[in-house]
Amino acid sequence: MKISLQTRFAVGITLGLLFTDACSRSEGGSATTPPARGFPAVNAIAAAPLGQVAGASGNVAALSIANPFEGNPQAIEQGKQLYIKMNCAGCHAYNGKGNMGPDLTDTYWRYGGLPVEIYKSIEEGRPQGMPSWGAALPPEDIWKLVAYIESFGGSVSAKDYEHARQGDQPGEQIAPEVLEQRP
Amino acid sequence: MNGPCRATTRAQMKSRLAVEVDQIEPLSRNAGDEFWALSKLQFGRSPVLLTWLMVGICSCGKSQKPVVMELTAHAATTGGANLTGATFNFAPGDPAGEWHSQARDYANTRYSTLDQIDTGNVSKLRVAWTFSDGMEAGHEAAPLVVNNTMYVVTPFPDVLYALDLTKTGEPIKWTFKPNPSPMAKGKACCDSVNRGVAYVEGKLIYNLLDDHTVAVDAKTGNEIWRTKMGNVETGETMTMAPFVVGNKVYVGNSGGEMGAWGWIAALDVASGKELWRAYSTGSDQQVRIGSDFKPFYEQFKGKDLGVSTWPAGMWRHGAGTVWTWVSYDPQLNLIYYGTSNPSPRVPDQRPGDNLWTSTIFARDATTGMARWAYQTTPHDRWDYDGVNENILLDLPIDGTMRKALVHFDRNAYAYTIDRTSGEVLRAAPFAYQNWSSGFDMKSGRPIVNPDKEPHPDVKLLNVCPPDLGGKDWEPAAASPRTGLVYASIFNLCMDLTDNKVGYIPSTPYDGMNIRRFPAPGGNLGEFMAWNPATGKKVWSVKETYMTMSGVLATAGDVVFYGTADGWFRGVDARSGKVLWSQKLGSGIIGQPTTFLGPDHRQYIAISSGIGGAATIRADIDAVKPAGFPAGGNTLYVFSIGGDSMTADSNQSTR
Repeated sequence: MKISLQTRFAVGITLGLLFTDACSRSEGGSATTPPARGFPAVNAIAAAPLGQVAGASGNVAALSIANPFEGNPQAIEQGKQLYIKMNCAGCHAYNGKGNMGPDLTDTYWRYGGLPVEIYKSIEEGRPQGMPSWGAALPPEDIWKLVAYIESFGGSVSAKDYEHARQGDQPGEQIAPEVLEQRP
Repeated sequence: MNGPCRATTRAQMKSRLAVEVDQIEPLSRNAGDEFWALSKLQFGRSPVLLTWLMVGICSCGKSQKPVVMELTAHAATTGGANLTGATFNFAPGDPAGEWHSQARDYANTRYSTLDQIDTGNVSKLRVAWTFSDGMEAGHEAAPLVVNNTMYVVTPFPDVLYALDLTKTGEPIKWTFKPNPSPMAKGKACCDSVNRGVAYVEGKLIYNLLDDHTVAVDAKTGNEIWRTKMGNVETGETMTMAPFVVGNKVYVGNSGGEMGAWGWIAALDVASGKELWRAYSTGSDQQVRIGSDFKPFYEQFKGKDLGVSTWPAGMWRHGAGTVWTWVSYDPQLNLIYYGTSNPSPRVPDQRPGDNLWTSTIFARDATTGMARWAYQTTPHDRWDYDGVNENILLDLPIDGTMRKALVHFDRNAYAYTIDRTSGEVLRAAPFAYQNWSSGFDMKSGRPIVNPDKEPHPDVKLLNVCPPDLGGKDWEPAAASPRTGLVYASIFNLCMDLTDNKVGYIPSTPYDGMNIRRFPAPGGNLGEFMAWNPATGKKVWSVKETYMTMSGVLATAGDVVFYGTADGWFRGVDARSGKVLWSQKLGSGIIGQPTTFLGPDHRQYIAISSGIGGAATIRADIDAVKPAGFPAGGNTLYVFSIGGDSMTADSNQSTR
C-alpha cells in the first residue's frame, strides 16, 4: 500500500477516521468478543510513521491508535497461544525476555513501544530478522499478539505517544539478580 | 601409531630425542629463546628419558614401542612428566611465534611451544596494549598473528581488522567491511557471533553470518572471492571458523534452532568454488555415505539411515548443522567434526534416532565421503549438539597405543574414540549429569534415564545438563608436556517444558521452554584438566560464573582461560594452581592465543566481550547472577611487566 506523505498526515490528524467497522481482513475465527469499536482502519495504521514526520514536528497523532483488545483477558490469552504457535517464543523467549530477538518486557523499543508501533513491527517485519506477518495473520490476531506483549508491562500507553517520542519516560532500575541454588 | 608397539632401547630413545631436539631450534626466534631452550634441554634431558622409559614400560608392555613424536620430545626435555603417555602431531607446523588458524594445528591442540612466559613469571603479566572494535555482541574468535600482523574479526557485521605489530601503538593497517545482510543478525540463535578466521597462503578466509564465505588478501584487505553458501532467509547462518587443509577450506552452517539442513562443504582455496557438500541428514548420497563407510556400531549400519530414522520428510528440516571445529589427521587423510542437535528440539515430534544429528563424522578429506560416524546422543531430547571439538592424540589405552580422538560432548560425557574406526574407548561424565544412568560400551549407546525424558506440555524439573550442555563450543587445549587436556566446562541444570512446534520458514523450529540454574555445588563454571587415557578428571578450578572461553596451553606449563564475569587466568598446567588473574572490561568467551612480537617478546592475547550463549535468556535464568558485566569488546594483549614496543619507545624518549 502506497500512501503519499500528505495523505498520511491528513489521515493521521483526522482522528474520526481512526476507528471503522471490523476490518475486512479480520477473520481470526476465535471466540474472543470483537471489540465494540471495531478495528483500526488499515489506512489509519498505515499513516502512523516509523520516523519523525519531516516538517511537521510533534504532530504524530496517528500514533495514538489504541489496541482494540487492550486489557481484554481473552484476547491476551489467545495472543499468548499465537505467540507460541507462530514461534515468536523461539526468538523472544517464552516470557518475552528476548534471546535471538529483542526483549519485549523492558522499556527499550528499537521501533517504538506504542501499540500501533508494535502492531506495525509485527505486520511489516523489521530488517534485522523480524519476519513480516501481515500476509500470514489477520489484523485481529496481530492485535491479540500486541495485547499479549502489552501485558508484559514494558510497552508504552497509546496516550503517551508524544512523551514516548521525546524520551519523557521514567528510567528503569535493574535490580541485582539473585543466584538461585537448587539441591 | 596404530598397531603393536615394539621394544625400544635406551640408545634408540636417546637418538630419537636428539633428532627431535634439533628440530626445536628453528622454532626459536631469537638468541634469547635459543639460550632458554638449550639450557632447559641440558638440565631436563635425564629426567625425560626416565619418564619416557617409564611410559614405555608401564603402558606398552613388551610388544609395544614408546612413542616419541616431534614436540613430545621437546615437552619432555623441559622437565616434568607426561602423565598420560599421550603423543601429538603438530602438523602443519606453523611458525612457533605465529598463530595461523583458530586451533593452531590440524590436531586442534591449541598448544604453543613458546615458553618465555612460564609458571615462574606468569604472575608478572601486565597489559601491554589493547584494541577495541566497538561491537557489542559476543566475541568468540581468536586473533591470528601472521608476518607481524594481527588479524581480528568482529561479530556481525563481521568486520576484519589488520593491526600492524611493527609499529608502536599497533595501529590499524587496513579494515575489511564485508557488508552482510542485516537480516542475519536476527537469525542467529545464540548471538551474532563469529568464531574466527583461517590464514592460508596470503589469504584470510572466514564466514559471514549471512551465509557467505569470503577470502581477503592478507596484505591489502581486498576481497579475493566470495561464495554464497546458503539463504539467510531460511534461518540458516554461518558462525564457524573455516578450517584449511592444503588447497581445500571446510565450512559449515548454523541454524539448528531454525530447522536448517545441516552440511559441511569443501571449497577450493584459490577460487572459492564449492568442491563437494555433505549433508547431515537425508539419503546416503546426500550425506556422502558410500561403500567405504565402516561405522563401528550396528545402529549406524544400513541404507539411508539419515531418512529412515526420522518420521516421513522431517529429516529435511532436521538440522545437524556444522557450526564449530574441524580437525584433520594427515596420515589417515580424514577430517573430523560434529553435527548439531536435531530440529525441532521437541523429541516427541520426531521419533527415531534422528541420524546423523549429534554425531561425530570422519570423512575423507579429499572426497568428503564418510568413513565412519558415531552418534553421541541418539534421538537427542535436550539440545545436546555433538559439535564440540575433536582433539587428535595418540594414547596408550589398556596397554596399546591407539590413534584417538578426545571429545567433550554437550551431553557431559568425555569420549576417547579410536579415530581410525569410531570405536568408543572411554566414555565418562566430566560434568554433573542425570539424563543418563550409564553408558553401554558394547552398543556404544548411553543409557537414558526415562525420568528425564521431556514430553510436550509437561514441566520436567531438574534435568542436567541443560541445553548448553556440560560444555559448549568453547574449545579445549592439550599439552604434550603433561599429556592432559584442559577444558572450560559448566555446572548447570534446567527445568524444561516442551511445546509442540510447526515449521514456519524464517522462524525458530524450537519448542524448548527452559529455565537454567546451577547444578549441585552452586558454581556455574569450572576449569578442568582431564586424563583422556583413563577418562578421569585430574584437577579442576571451580568458578562462580560460567566458564565459556577457549583454552590456551603453552610450553611454559601455564594454561589460560577466562570467565563469563571477566577474569582472565593463568593456571599451572600440572597442579591447577591459579598463578595469575586479571579482571577484564567485559566477560570472556574468546579464545586465548600467544605469539612473538617483532621484539621477540612473548605476548598473550584475549578478547573480552560477553555475549553468545553465555548470556542468552540470562534474565530468566540464574546463569547471570548479580554483578555480571556489560558487553562490549576490548582485545587485551599481555606481556611480562607490560613491556611492549610502545613501552620501549616511551623509555627511549624520556
